[in-house]
Amino acid sequence: MPVIKKLVKTAIDFVDVRLGIRDILADNLTKYLLPRNVNIWYTLGAVLMTLFGLQFATGILLLIYYVPNPSEAFGSVQAIMNEVPFGWLIRYLHAVGSNVIVIALLLHMLSVLFMGAYKRPRELTWLSGFLLFNLALGLCLTGYLLPWSQLSFWATTVATDAAGAIPVIGDEIVRFLRGGAMVGDSTLGRFFALHVMGLPLILALLIGFHLFCVRRVGISKPPFGPDYQPQPPSQVFRHQEHPGGIPFFPNYFVKDLAVISFFLALLAGVVFFAPNLFIPPSAYEPADPFVTPPHIKPEWYFLWAYQTLKIFPSEFLGLAVQGAFMTFLALLPFLDRGPERRPARRPLFVTCYILGILVFLAISIWGHYS
Amino acid sequence: MDNNPISPSQRRGFLITILAGLGTAVTAVTLWPMWRFLAPRKGPGALERVAVARASVDLGAAHFFNFRGAPAVLLQPSPGNFAAFSAVCPHLGCIIKWQQDKGEFLCPCHAGRFSADGKVLGGPPPKPLESIPVALEGDQIMVG
Repeated sequence: MPVIKKLVKTAIDFVDVRLGIRDILADNLTKYLLPRNVNIWYTLGAVLMTLFGLQFATGILLLIYYVPNPSEAFGSVQAIMNEVPFGWLIRYLHAVGSNVIVIALLLHMLSVLFMGAYKRPRELTWLSGFLLFNLALGLCLTGYLLPWSQLSFWATTVATDAAGAIPVIGDEIVRFLRGGAMVGDSTLGRFFALHVMGLPLILALLIGFHLFCVRRVGISKPPFGPDYQPQPPSQVFRHQEHPGGIPFFPNYFVKDLAVISFFLALLAGVVFFAPNLFIPPSAYEPADPFVTPPHIKPEWYFLWAYQTLKIFPSEFLGLAVQGAFMTFLALLPFLDRGPERRPARRPLFVTCYILGILVFLAISIWGHYS
Repeated sequence: MDNNPISPSQRRGFLITILAGLGTAVTAVTLWPMWRFLAPRKGPGALERVAVARASVDLGAAHFFNFRGAPAVLLQPSPGNFAAFSAVCPHLGCIIKWQQDKGEFLCPCHAGRFSADGKVLGGPPPKPLESIPVALEGDQIMVG
């Protein structure tokens, strides 16, 4: 042990003399103080970073054996599942992991909403987070097509078709998304490029910006406890300090690790014991452009959108409602400008919040059974 | 608590040992599937013999074919006699050519020359071409 200790110290000394790494580590780990009442919901960012890292690693591994060509894509995925050692593990981690990411994203978003952390001066953090949420859904959608199964093919047909409800330019947008009149060879090409290069690149840049915002502005103090007071808006930039708080490392880092472990255990549990929870049987049949399977439905996180399109008398109206809701969500910190963040003192907001969750659940369940 | 026999440094050492052990286990469990996923698999028939139609090897000419995943060459130096060699030059791994007019192999990379029975005639190759056993079975030549 003393030898290893000495080696580690020598290595850190080497980097420290050249880059001053000890200062950076201290500023961001032990001297980086979080509010004393920081809660478990603040770990979801670290959970998401871990899950995205896992998607990145498993994605690169899958890329080694996947063939992005309509005649070979399905076979190559079958080969990954059945022939490549541990191929099933890598693929299930990637496919199931995307669902766990959506769950974590929703929880992250809901906790930020509930604690009013999106409010001034964190509008940019919220906006970049909102874009990240949409990018993640875009990655889910583009990734869904790649195995070229019946499920992939028809889910993509239905999803891209929704854009056709936009007046005047709708059909042109559908053609553009698909790279042709129907989902086909060219759709696979563009979705593959987007999924493995385009979207991940933007995602990585945005994550960087999102983290920069969080670190630069400072963690928002949870709006709970007797000593919480809403801050009046400041006209100049001010980093929010938390004197007397707990150090990020090791105190909060351990909590991060615990919740990360919980999510990884959840992921492993589904991968090992119920991998088909998120993967319906039509994912195991090769795509057939001439046969639409019955009961074609999008993934659970798009069910609400799918059902909304069916509820409204015209598809355009349904799409407009979705668009309006998403725009409202994106611009929320610019509309909701009061400094009060305590949920108990924001009855209107909390009512809408709970109703919103219930409506989302109800429409999704309706969509699932319709 | 005053006569607690475990000192903080002992406690720390214990925790570090546990963490290091856990870390090693987690790393191993992560790296092993990745290693197996990435490791090249033995193709089917790594030990299989390859059949080449006798008619495809003319007298004095060379026939190149794929033998267990690497290029190999069949020669018919005299009527009814066949010889097979790995076509990979033992110098730096380039693929040799058959020069029918001279009756010898040439490696185009660094001008290594081999006789029709695989021996080094000149150039940098350190050893002769690897010879592969052949057997005649009807109108097929079984290599390997």
